[in-house]
Amino acid sequence: MYNSKNSLDWWSILWALFLCIVGVVLVYSATYNEAQNWANSMWFKQVLFFIVGYIIFIGMTFFPIGFYKKIAWPTYFLSLIFLIIVAAGFGASKYGAGRWISIGGFNFQPSEFSKIAYILALSTLLENRKITLKKLSTFTRPLIVFIVPFLLILKQPDLSTALVFLCLTAIHFYWSGMSLWELFLLASPALSMALSFHNLLWGGLIIVVLIALWKVHLRLGIAISIFIGNLAAGFSSFYLWNEILKPHQRSRILTFLDPLRDPRGEGYQVIQSKVAIGSGGLSGKGFLEGSQTNLSFLPEEHTDFIFSVLGEQFGLIGCIVIIVLFFLLLFRILHICTMQKNIFGNYLLVGVAAIFAFHIFVNIAMTLGIMPVTGLPLPLLSYGGSFVITCMVLLGFVQVVYKSGSET
Amino acid sequence: MYNNSEQFDRNFKSSFLTIIIGILFSLLIARLIFVQVVDHEENFRLSENNRMRQNIIKAPRGEIEDRHGNVLVRNRPSYHISLLYHKMENKDSLIRRVLSIEDYEGNPVFDSLHLIHQIKRGRWRKYRPQLLYEDAPFELVSIIEERSADLPGIITEVESRRAYPYGTLAAHTLGYTGRITVDQLKKRKDLGYDKNDRLGKKGLENYYEATFKGVDGVEYIEVDAFGRRLGQLDGMPKLDPIEGKKVITTLDLELQKIAENAFPDSLKGGLVAIDPSNGEVLAMVSSPRMNPNIFSLDSISRKREWANVALDSDAPLNNRALVGLYPPGSLFKFFTAIAGMQQGIHPKAKPYKPCRGGYQLGRRYQKCWKLTGHGNVDMIEALKTSCDVYFYQLGLQIDMDPINNVARMFGLEKKTHIDLPIEKRGVLIDSVTYNRRNKRLGWRWTRGQILHLSIGQGQLVTPLQMANAFAGLGNGYQLFKPRLIKAIIGADGRVESYSKPEVLKELSLTDSIRYMVNTALNAVVNEPGGTGRRARVKGVRVGGKTGSAENPHGELTHAWFGAVAPLEKPEIAIAVVVENAGHGGSVAAPIASQVLNYFFERKNQNVQLKK
Repeated sequence: MYNSKNSLDWWSILWALFLCIVGVVLVYSATYNEAQNWANSMWFKQVLFFIVGYIIFIGMTFFPIGFYKKIAWPTYFLSLIFLIIVAAGFGASKYGAGRWISIGGFNFQPSEFSKIAYILALSTLLENRKITLKKLSTFTRPLIVFIVPFLLILKQPDLSTALVFLCLTAIHFYWSGMSLWELFLLASPALSMALSFHNLLWGGLIIVVLIALWKVHLRLGIAISIFIGNLAAGFSSFYLWNEILKPHQRSRILTFLDPLRDPRGEGYQVIQSKVAIGSGGLSGKGFLEGSQTNLSFLPEEHTDFIFSVLGEQFGLIGCIVIIVLFFLLLFRILHICTMQKNIFGNYLLVGVAAIFAFHIFVNIAMTLGIMPVTGLPLPLLSYGGSFVITCMVLLGFVQVVYKSGSET
Repeated sequence: MYNNSEQFDRNFKSSFLTIIIGILFSLLIARLIFVQVVDHEENFRLSENNRMRQNIIKAPRGEIEDRHGNVLVRNRPSYHISLLYHKMENKDSLIRRVLSIEDYEGNPVFDSLHLIHQIKRGRWRKYRPQLLYEDAPFELVSIIEERSADLPGIITEVESRRAYPYGTLAAHTLGYTGRITVDQLKKRKDLGYDKNDRLGKKGLENYYEATFKGVDGVEYIEVDAFGRRLGQLDGMPKLDPIEGKKVITTLDLELQKIAENAFPDSLKGGLVAIDPSNGEVLAMVSSPRMNPNIFSLDSISRKREWANVALDSDAPLNNRALVGLYPPGSLFKFFTAIAGMQQGIHPKAKPYKPCRGGYQLGRRYQKCWKLTGHGNVDMIEALKTSCDVYFYQLGLQIDMDPINNVARMFGLEKKTHIDLPIEKRGVLIDSVTYNRRNKRLGWRWTRGQILHLSIGQGQLVTPLQMANAFAGLGNGYQLFKPRLIKAIIGADGRVESYSKPEVLKELSLTDSIRYMVNTALNAVVNEPGGTGRRARVKGVRVGGKTGSAENPHGELTHAWFGAVAPLEKPEIAIAVVVENAGHGGSVAAPIASQVLNYFFERKNQNVQLKK
């Protein structure tokens, strides 16, 4: 048992600091070609972001965990206001979609802020609640809290953050007592819609749904609704696909699932990224030696495709070291989670781990060409102020929970 | 607080999540091993010197043909010589070698200032080609290719550009292309445009841009250290370009040639020939002309030529057939006459004072064009000899509203909505519009204005509107929308769409009006004393009307001639206007006559051939 009221968790700080330093090095390598003085350079800005992030991080540890529970709802509503501003079209436009808000000369992304706000709100809400399909009323409030920011984010459209919300919500529901079968049933209509294009797969899914219904023992009405929901989703998908969606929307979805369909756009990045990583081999070409990445063939190499820089210059060994570091960090977070008895704190940390894990997996899989190009950055390595600060705040939660000890 | 079973539950869930994360991360490592160890050699080879290139295969733009399949606009290859900065080895020696390249006459090809400037700019975009010589002649390209080993960093690129084999022929109708501007690119980003693309800026090139544009393809190729193509990469996706669609126009190349010859650059004005049975435009001339090929030249020549054209006070860029606004002059008398008949005036009646060379209205004396007078004439006689005095009195009797209604029925006010991007609408005048238009000058409507308006001085029309109105006079039942496209042919050679005749207005005329119009059109050309006798064609009943529109800016009148033939079953209607040239009968009618003569000669030949 930890007796750690006044100390910090040095293990997670150590892993995170190491990752931050690697991140700055990679951003330097990805952008050093562009002749600029160092004060304007990306790597220097990234260092500044981390300094700001660490100041926030340290500041956060001075407040007890009860403080965060108190500010959970105000933060949540503030984030909704930001999201509404962006959804209403008042956001600053960058790369076409106006996802940014400018306050006093600083641009930030409301969808990043909303991740933090949503973790706090959902953790507070679920603290004294068990979620189960057997009692539908347990869903009412969590669903409202989920659906409002989710729809606002989808409208931006910021599909990747919306997916983060889905993942986080599923993990929180699991932690609050839902069984895997129940989670599966909850998600099954969406799965039905996706799989209905293949008769055998969909048939298989329906059988699994029936097994799940038999296992979970739901009230008859709920069970029937879920089953009918599956059938309706499956049958309506053809109509939706062929009649409602316009050809360019269909093509966008297909390109999302298989970037190689559009070798001009995103497919090109994925191909280049794969070649870059693969050319690194076992030990990499060495720092600053990546011909692929240094020739600027990857447009987003310092943000979403930072892992390609790592793969090319430091090879399989470098990649495995980084993945192991990420794993150690996540392992540490989940470990603290089981040791500390504060239920709110548990939810916070499960959420932090879920967000990190989702970002890491989806981003790296994308650079390797096995996941769609979503635009999710890699925590602590990718360039970008808003996301660096989000990561540092999430790590701040880890320290706050760690310090909470046995207080309730 | 947790109790024991809850603590166990928590430990279980936490371990479960850790294991899931472990499995997912192991998947990533497995994939990394595959990409970085198993596929390493292939990927390494591709990354070395960046041997992989994404090659955009530009789709050729759709061609334009005339109604008989003659190519009016095609594509030609255009070669550029560019610099790849990062491939350059020694700047000074490269500059020296490039400057030493000479053409057949021994003159240096490259300008040293321009060359050094472009190389400097290349420093900021090392990996993209920096243009050194646009639209290079083929001999220069072959010299560069031969010496490519001596000129590291210098590459040749090829691009497809528009060529107009007949130069200025129908240039205003066909239009031209130009490099896409930043604003245009912003609007069209989703349509697959790229910043180096060209798109239609004027004429049909602009109106049917979406039709002409194909879909670019893409391939991944492997190149050697000099950037030369080695071949396509295996396992990489390839999209073939889809050629733009071909457009078959209604234009008739041979007829257009005759019309262009009949209307030399020394005359200013426009000519439009239309098929009255369906609205197809057979020929369209605007003079003076410009050569659309200048827009495909290299930048220096293009700028020089462009300056010549753009600063010319005769405005050769304007398509006068569509944007030239001229008073219709005596051609308008047909609409005054039709309105008169609608108001119950008999074409054979002589209800007015005879023409003694002018007409007295109050204190105002308005002359007829023929100062000796026409005597006592009926409506057909008045049209044939173009007697102003008859129409002064007719106008005064029925007022402007019925006349303008007839003119509107023949499409003289609104745009015709032909398939070209820029067209002007005409102007018809009545007391309300007159007062509104002249409010600033403080002029008020008086009945005296009717004297001018009833003979077509004061209104404004375009040659296209007038040609179409004459098509309507000849047809007698329907007014068609003029159009330039017969069909659109897809990349596979199959017809994608035919354009169908579109009725603009149903002409509500009585048979007696149609008979009067037909008789009068015939009389103007074929009867002794008619003003349009110079438009006669042997063996064909040509109908027409001359006009001489007074012109506030010049001494000479604008010469008009409107024609339609054969009167029994019209196949062609023509309107010609020549600015500041004098009388319609002596200047415009001969031009129309050349076109008509050719049209019917060729028809006779074809008929004889068939026999």
